[in-house]
Amino acid sequence: MSEYGADTPTIGDVPRIVTPPVEPHLPPRQWLAKNLFPSKLNTLLTIVASLVILAIVRGLLGFIFNPIRQWNATAVNLRLMMTHAYPADQYVRVWVSVAVFLVLTSLSLVVWRVGFRILLRKLAKQVIAGGVFGLLVSVLAPFSTNATLIWLAVSAGVLAIGLGLLRAPEEATISSLTLVVGASSLAAASLWLIPYGRHSFVPDRTPRILAEPGTVAITTKLPWTIMLVIAVATYAVGRMLRDRIPTKQAQTVLLLTWFLAPLALIYLVLRDPDFDMAHVVSTDIPIFLVFAALGSATLFWLTRPDTGEIGRVIAMVILFLGFGSFLTPMRMVIRILLILLAMFSLAAPTFSGDRQTRRRYATTWTVVTLFLCWLITAINTPSTVDVPGEFFMGGFSLTLLVAFFTLIISFPLGVVLALARTSTMPVFRLLATTFIEFVRGIPLITILIFFSVMVPLFLPDGMDLPELTAVTIGYALFASAYLAENVRGGLQSVTRGQHEAAEAVGMTTSQKTVFIVLPQALRVAIPPLVGQVIATFKETSLLYIIGLYDLLFVAKALVPNQTEFMGSTRENLLFVSVIYWIIAYNLSKASQRLERRVGLGER
Amino acid sequence: MNDMDTDARTDAEPPARSERDLSNAADMIVCEEICKWYGDFQALEGVSATIKEQEVVVVLGPSGSGKSTWIRCINRLEQHQEGRIVVDGVELTNDLRNIEKVRSEVGMVFQQFNLFPHLKVRDNVSLAPIWVRKKPKAEAEEQAQALLELVGIPEQADKFPGQLSGGQQQRVAIARALAMEPKIMLFDEPTSALDPEMIKEVLDVMKNLALSGMTMMVVTHEMGFAKEVADRIIFMEEGQIVEVGTPEHFFTNPTEDRTKLFLSQILA
Repeated sequence: MSEYGADTPTIGDVPRIVTPPVEPHLPPRQWLAKNLFPSKLNTLLTIVASLVILAIVRGLLGFIFNPIRQWNATAVNLRLMMTHAYPADQYVRVWVSVAVFLVLTSLSLVVWRVGFRILLRKLAKQVIAGGVFGLLVSVLAPFSTNATLIWLAVSAGVLAIGLGLLRAPEEATISSLTLVVGASSLAAASLWLIPYGRHSFVPDRTPRILAEPGTVAITTKLPWTIMLVIAVATYAVGRMLRDRIPTKQAQTVLLLTWFLAPLALIYLVLRDPDFDMAHVVSTDIPIFLVFAALGSATLFWLTRPDTGEIGRVIAMVILFLGFGSFLTPMRMVIRILLILLAMFSLAAPTFSGDRQTRRRYATTWTVVTLFLCWLITAINTPSTVDVPGEFFMGGFSLTLLVAFFTLIISFPLGVVLALARTSTMPVFRLLATTFIEFVRGIPLITILIFFSVMVPLFLPDGMDLPELTAVTIGYALFASAYLAENVRGGLQSVTRGQHEAAEAVGMTTSQKTVFIVLPQALRVAIPPLVGQVIATFKETSLLYIIGLYDLLFVAKALVPNQTEFMGSTRENLLFVSVIYWIIAYNLSKASQRLERRVGLGER
Repeated sequence: MNDMDTDARTDAEPPARSERDLSNAADMIVCEEICKWYGDFQALEGVSATIKEQEVVVVLGPSGSGKSTWIRCINRLEQHQEGRIVVDGVELTNDLRNIEKVRSEVGMVFQQFNLFPHLKVRDNVSLAPIWVRKKPKAEAEEQAQALLELVGIPEQADKFPGQLSGGQQQRVAIARALAMEPKIMLFDEPTSALDPEMIKEVLDVMKNLALSGMTMMVVTHEMGFAKEVADRIIFMEEGQIVEVGTPEHFFTNPTEDRTKLFLSQILA
């Protein structure tokens, strides 16, 4: 029992609980006087600021609700903006992808125990604020009388609900997730009730790429309702199973799935590959089996603690074989696997240990090989999805695709560059520094144009690099230079004492880096790293300039050129900004959560 | 770790430190005329000493006298530029394998603890045995628990270092060093960063370690510890060894004027 009372008070020895004094709850008038009008200057500032805010809100409302705004352009073309020209009869594939995403989200919410209780009275205040804002909008916006009445009625309803909630019992709470589900249900229900994007136009004037007549609500109300049910059901099932599954393993599996799912969705579901089974059985599977078996055996032997110098020699031989394979014609997958095996062999002494550790290392190799073989096979398989244009994805899905691949390539590359730049070996340092400073000195758009226009010209005969792949590599190189600098900042924050302590217990440089330095450095670097992730996500909009059909291109160049929606640029741009903002804002929130979580260990 | 078993230690009283005869013991650390410069400043000016197996040597001296630099040279955290250092028969040169060998046999405890803040206490202790000594994980964790018991904090194994007091952290640091089963332990001012009430718990652990027969080299300002535990005291100033002797000789009858001055200042 500690000196100042135990955690559980015992009868007869009740610890005195000292609580800080509670701030007195001010009535509204005094609160206003204290916070908004405490002095003459502050009163003036309050009034001026209020007028400015009012003017901005009025201007914005005037823009949004102006009758000449063509919001139909956005609503009718939602499909175009999300998936560009993906064939409508294959749309179930898109919905399957969305469902997988929602299932993963629900399971993550379960496993990471996201969600908190909100006091009903606190919620009431926010509902009331919403109602008041609604009333304000009703008065300020240039509505028709009819619309004003509807807005007034809805706002009054919201206000009434808020006032009703205010009478809830003091301790009553509601789960934040219940609120999210409630809001989503309302949104889904509104699809059935409100015909968003109602639009009719002369069918024969419609280019093929246009959305078909009708409303967004008609085509999406059923799928969205099913999605909502799937998400809620997954969450409920997950909740029931949660206590029977070890949390740590579940988190690891989920993280891996989050990483693999996009690849599986793109190459299996969305792209619908036309696998040539005869070729797969005769070539791809044998290559995998040979590398898996030989590789695991080699690595299992190399990770013996007493292998010694001969292990390094063997690793170097494999490395030379890997680079040598570029001199003779050979399947690319064999070259990649050879070089990867060499890397695994070189790292083997770092991860050597007892039988269990060695088996785990060999298994890691097998899994990575399986993944790579599958991915390369999938990429090389032609798609059955028949789309006009070069690539089967476009719009928002292309934005997500490029951002995802850029990040999974540039993260490892950035870490390696940062390590090389802080290395004691002059060659690595020089190469990394040169690369980073060179890339950082060039505008991104230059790099993109270079990769889209020039690189295909430099490629040797017979080698073919799709423009999108080339551009993604350009993005990844650019992002990796910035990520490297962020990681380097983290590396420098690891104190000299940590290095010395790791050295003093006999760790090799690579062990020190993997177990001591990098975990601490990456933790420190989370805020700038997430900043870079957000920047990368937004920079995908530069695809517009090199003429790839990303979200911005569709919104800015395609939709406003449709005969029905001439000059709807501003509406579309506002919509696109909202999409970008929602995602960037959520990333930023997630980063704050992550910071709090990993900060737990350090006091 | 059998020779450090808690029960065995309390039974037999070993002879007083200075009465032990270590003349036949093997040489563990041999330093010959080590010199070390930081830029133009010479930190060590020809330090020579031999430390026998099981011997406990305390290094005293005013700040800036080169004590820490010397002790850090012995496991190559600092690089000496002239002279020879031989640790348990292995000479420290630029050969990385020798350095790794010496480091895995020499445990080091730092003034600032330098625990790994992102790892739990148990993992702090078991990490190096698993990856450097290649021990099976279960065995290493069992050993970690036993060592934490030895230093008196078995119940803290699942906490993070940041949640412990300074004295507890330093004891974890000692356990971490012992987990590598070193032949020699180096202590670089282990109690200088601690609050006064925590110094004793760390010194007690060190005392027990000395009694169990560990070869130890301790840089410290704790005169009580030096008097009670040391076989020999080495007094340094300005990068040179000024005087060497038993605690008895050193504290009652020092020969050098500089030593007398130092003692009069700290014992005043």
